[in-house]
Amino acid sequence: MSGRAFGTQTPAAPPREKEHVLPTEAPITPSPFAEKVRGPVGRSCDKIDGVERVTGTKLYGADLIAREADLHAKVVRSEHAHAEVVSIDTKEALRVDGVLAVLTAEDVKGTNRHGLIRRDHPVLAKDRVRYRGDAVAIVVAKTEQAAAAGRDAVKVEYRVLPTVESIEQAMAPGAPHLQPGGNVMGGRRIRKGDADSALADSHVVVSETFRTQTVDHAFLDVEAGVARWDGELLTIRVSGQWVHEEARLVALALGLPVERVRIIQPAAGGAFGGREDISIQIYVGLAALRFAGKTVALRYDRAESMRARHKRHPMRIEYAMGADREGRLTAAKVAIYSDEGAYASTGIAVCRKMSSHATGPYRVPHVRVDVFGVHTNNNPTGAMRGFGATQIAIAYEGMMDRLAAKLGVDRVEFRRANLIRPGDAVTTGQVVPSPTAVECLEAVLRQYGSKSMPSEPLPTHLRRGWGVSVICFGMGYGDGFPDASRARVRIGADGCVEVYSGIVDVGQGAENVIAQVAAEEMGVGLEHTRVITADTHMTPESGSCSATRSTFFAGNAVRLAAGELKEKLLDAAGELLCVHPNELEFRGEEIRGRFDEGLCCSLGELVAAARKRGYELEAEALFKPRTICEDFETGQSPRAFITYMFGAHVSQVLVDVETGEVRVERHVACHDVGRAINPEAVRGQITGGVVQGIGMALMEEVVYRGGRILNPGFTDYILPTVRDVPPVECVVLESNDPLGPYGAKGVGEPPLIGAVPAVLSAIYDATGKAPATLPCNPERVWGMLTGS
Amino acid sequence: MGDSGGAWHLSCTVNGEPVEAEVDPRITLLTFLREHLLLTGTKGACLEGECGSCTVIVDGRPINSCLMLAGQAQGCSIQTIEGIGDDKKLHALQKHFIATGAAQCGYCTPGLIMAAKAMLDANPSPTEQEFTTAIEANICRCTGYESIRQAIRDAYREIHG
Amino acid sequence: MFYQPTDMAEALRLRAELGPEVVTVCGGTDVVVAMNHGVARPEAFLDLSRVAGRDSVERVNGIYLLGGGVTFAQMAKLPVRALAEAARSVGGPQIRNVGTIAGNLGTASPAGDGSVALLALDAEVELSHVERGSRWVRLEEFFLDYKRTALQPDELITRVRFPSDFESVWYKIGKRGAVNISIVCCAIGRSPAGAYRIALGSVGPVPMRAMEAEAVLNGDSTDAAHRAVAYLADEVIERAAEAAELEAAPIDDQRSSARYREAMCRVLVRRLLRELRDG
Repeated sequence: MSGRAFGTQTPAAPPREKEHVLPTEAPITPSPFAEKVRGPVGRSCDKIDGVERVTGTKLYGADLIAREADLHAKVVRSEHAHAEVVSIDTKEALRVDGVLAVLTAEDVKGTNRHGLIRRDHPVLAKDRVRYRGDAVAIVVAKTEQAAAAGRDAVKVEYRVLPTVESIEQAMAPGAPHLQPGGNVMGGRRIRKGDADSALADSHVVVSETFRTQTVDHAFLDVEAGVARWDGELLTIRVSGQWVHEEARLVALALGLPVERVRIIQPAAGGAFGGREDISIQIYVGLAALRFAGKTVALRYDRAESMRARHKRHPMRIEYAMGADREGRLTAAKVAIYSDEGAYASTGIAVCRKMSSHATGPYRVPHVRVDVFGVHTNNNPTGAMRGFGATQIAIAYEGMMDRLAAKLGVDRVEFRRANLIRPGDAVTTGQVVPSPTAVECLEAVLRQYGSKSMPSEPLPTHLRRGWGVSVICFGMGYGDGFPDASRARVRIGADGCVEVYSGIVDVGQGAENVIAQVAAEEMGVGLEHTRVITADTHMTPESGSCSATRSTFFAGNAVRLAAGELKEKLLDAAGELLCVHPNELEFRGEEIRGRFDEGLCCSLGELVAAARKRGYELEAEALFKPRTICEDFETGQSPRAFITYMFGAHVSQVLVDVETGEVRVERHVACHDVGRAINPEAVRGQITGGVVQGIGMALMEEVVYRGGRILNPGFTDYILPTVRDVPPVECVVLESNDPLGPYGAKGVGEPPLIGAVPAVLSAIYDATGKAPATLPCNPERVWGMLTGS
Repeated sequence: MGDSGGAWHLSCTVNGEPVEAEVDPRITLLTFLREHLLLTGTKGACLEGECGSCTVIVDGRPINSCLMLAGQAQGCSIQTIEGIGDDKKLHALQKHFIATGAAQCGYCTPGLIMAAKAMLDANPSPTEQEFTTAIEANICRCTGYESIRQAIRDAYREIHG
Repeated sequence: MFYQPTDMAEALRLRAELGPEVVTVCGGTDVVVAMNHGVARPEAFLDLSRVAGRDSVERVNGIYLLGGGVTFAQMAKLPVRALAEAARSVGGPQIRNVGTIAGNLGTASPAGDGSVALLALDAEVELSHVERGSRWVRLEEFFLDYKRTALQPDELITRVRFPSDFESVWYKIGKRGAVNISIVCCAIGRSPAGAYRIALGSVGPVPMRAMEAEAVLNGDSTDAAHRAVAYLADEVIERAAEAAELEAAPIDDQRSSARYREAMCRVLVRRLLRELRDG
């Protein structure tokens, strides 16, 4: 190999390719691709920008502020969970030394609204505030201290309204209406067969009410960034998860044509769904519009981040499930009440995800589900890793354990007997393309069984147990929601393959995946690939980095674009070699005749020649597979999702039955990810998801009182430390998804979804009591065990 | 000793270089490093000592720079992520953090590397427990910690042959 | 203003001269958190981190004498089980390297792990004034009310002392395995003469002693024989544990309910007494 693929210059700092290392101790299930690993796809390779991330040179939003800010903005937020805004007095604030402006709703020239699905969230509240994070004014000042002092000096007069604190209060007769349509926003339903009759006829029926908690994304890199208006273009550099949508939302809210809003993603320190809703982009953009030519900065601290941002939906899930004498599931009847908080956010879609995943990876002939999204004066709830599929998995897996116990059968056997097999349908009636639930279960049990349980006798107050979960997850937005990715691939001036994609890398390694796909498709080394992402004015729209879709969608778009570019190159080669392009083919970094070995030119020569002849060495492609919107009466859809991912977990815990403390001793996770394009990154997603799952199962909880968050910081919003999690044993199950890029599906969300119910199942096994309320912190477990 | 209103003369060493600055001693060391010296590799995340993102090494000990006042750094030797390696020559920890995939979003990474470095510098033969203790107050929300522990073990092996 | 004395005499002089608006700081692990949250905006500091000798640890005639600037990292290494374990459970290395015993006592948080351990060890704290001199105050008298102590604004906590020959045990319930704020914590000390001291954290406005529970164990006799280890029959332990549950006065907060905390007082006292008995 010549050392370079195209052109003549050598790019700097080639990323190192790695061995296809197997996970620590955990055996990898034989991959259908084992023999095919040649190019970058299927290899663990170092993070493209790994050096920047470990040397501290990667710039995150707050780092831009330290370097570039001319002015600073702060947000004035509601002091009440629910109130009318009577007046806003800015005089005092404007007198604060250094304060330059105080902006209110009057200063917002556009719709003054945002929201990913419903545009119901005011940028700056004008007459009413619905939660304590609602913004009412923006203060701009010369220094951050002055902006903070100005913020504290803005006097807002409120007429306090009754606070709706909970789902129960919101649904009570006479509750104040928080949104024009009332407090219950359009729920979603499933009507499949006749669940009521089937339950009545069942041999056993088990009912349980599950309560899940409010969870915060708690990414470490709090919202921060800068904006600048040059008179023509408003450039905003803030981390999000979907730059193009953010540009649209900013443009709408502020009354600018979308072409005049440029969003550039700085490095993002985690997201997990928490950057899906717009955060500071509009505020900082609004402030920048007022001060042309100045770079305006805005950042939250942890408390403001928690106070302002949406959360994971807390839910009450009333679940009844039946089985026949042979241990086959007969029916499920589910009512879900979900606290949507003050605004819709992505709540409607979360409601649908709950209903479409209501019976998980199990065959259930009769299903009735009703989901009610209920507005309260708590924080809006929206996207967080799992997107509703997390909460419902806690319920259906909880039911599997309870039903098995009631039937007196083994909980693993019971699952095995009811998991969907090829040809079976999930809750939506969709026959899943390649169900691998059983394979995941077997693989996770094999790994768990490879080590024996500790045999030392336990003191009387300690109990050990293990639990199991099997889950499924529909990839992408699904249900007919427009879902597409574009990408552009070109040969750069230095001969490198340049990949342009609007996809956002939030830290998980999306940039690596698309670089690997492009390099593989173009037949070049990864060191000859350069990735440009997430800039609305540089990169084609790729949709959001969410829904476990980045690998599948952005990867496919890049693959298609690279394929187009190869065709163009073959055209050029045909002209150069005076044959029909169909006579030619790529072989590594050369083009040769299919039938005539004498025909040959290197890619470098070809590119040089093509340039001379004026060929545009660039191709763009669109990947837009269709899903089908469900029937709103029945919730059924033959193709609700493009593909499904499956996973199974086993968790082993030690429970102190006197104090309620729980320690996870082992955790094994197996996921079908399709092709693992970067196995190390896949394992990174699995282990990280498991830790977040353990956090949700055991400790994380946003506590409200009267709409006020009582624990808006890391002293009391408890996250798992290295001492709370065992080394996660990952089993990567590879399969070949027919539509996925090189057979890949994705991996982001399922590991968290599988982890939570496995931990709960283990607590049940250890103590004989099945948890139904999260998190299982010491007090709750103690309460469950003592009936207190 | 000495008192002063507003600005203060701070003399310290940062990454081996002497630093002389007129600063308000009441700002935190984190703010001083990030906003005055533009050493933005040190990150703030919780500002209450619960996450370790802002860890730097002061006179050989890992501390949370969000909880130390700039004035308390008087005369101290401070080491930050920028001082231990760069793209031309990575520190063993930096190298292994990349190699094991221990840096996903990378936001916690500088703090973790500094916490680990302080331990490796001070402890020639750490036990498995000590590897863990060194990073027990550093929150990583992405990776699940094991790749981080592995990176530190690998770096230790490299450093100590 | 930022005052940074290098010896104790200077520190005491400054403390006496400066008004209460000048905040004493050393490790900063409480004070600076409040600043970062915007709860406190001190204009001036008296920084004790440079005072020579404040981190000394001495053991003289059966008494441990710790300078106020002794850190949790130092305490974690002492052969005093309850104190060392409590210190190890505070924060992580970064906090333990700078957080001091004087700061822990001065903050007087009911959840102050070091304070609870010291209470069980029959510790006294030395409060010093540049002119009035020093006074030793027993911890029971030092903690007055929620985050209020006997320390006068013109005094500094200079030293802590406690007998070195107590046996002691410690347990903390929190929500995770490290950097763990206590929901309930308990330390029990036993003097060579067999007298028990039971201290509880996070179950009242201040770190408290479970006097009723101690009475069950110690009786009202000063006769050492009365306090023989043999008295720790399961039944006695159970009565002491119950007494501790009854006398604890916790509140409901976002960390836990009062009910749970009361119940845990019983569990922890029972568990720790058995541990002391069974070794």
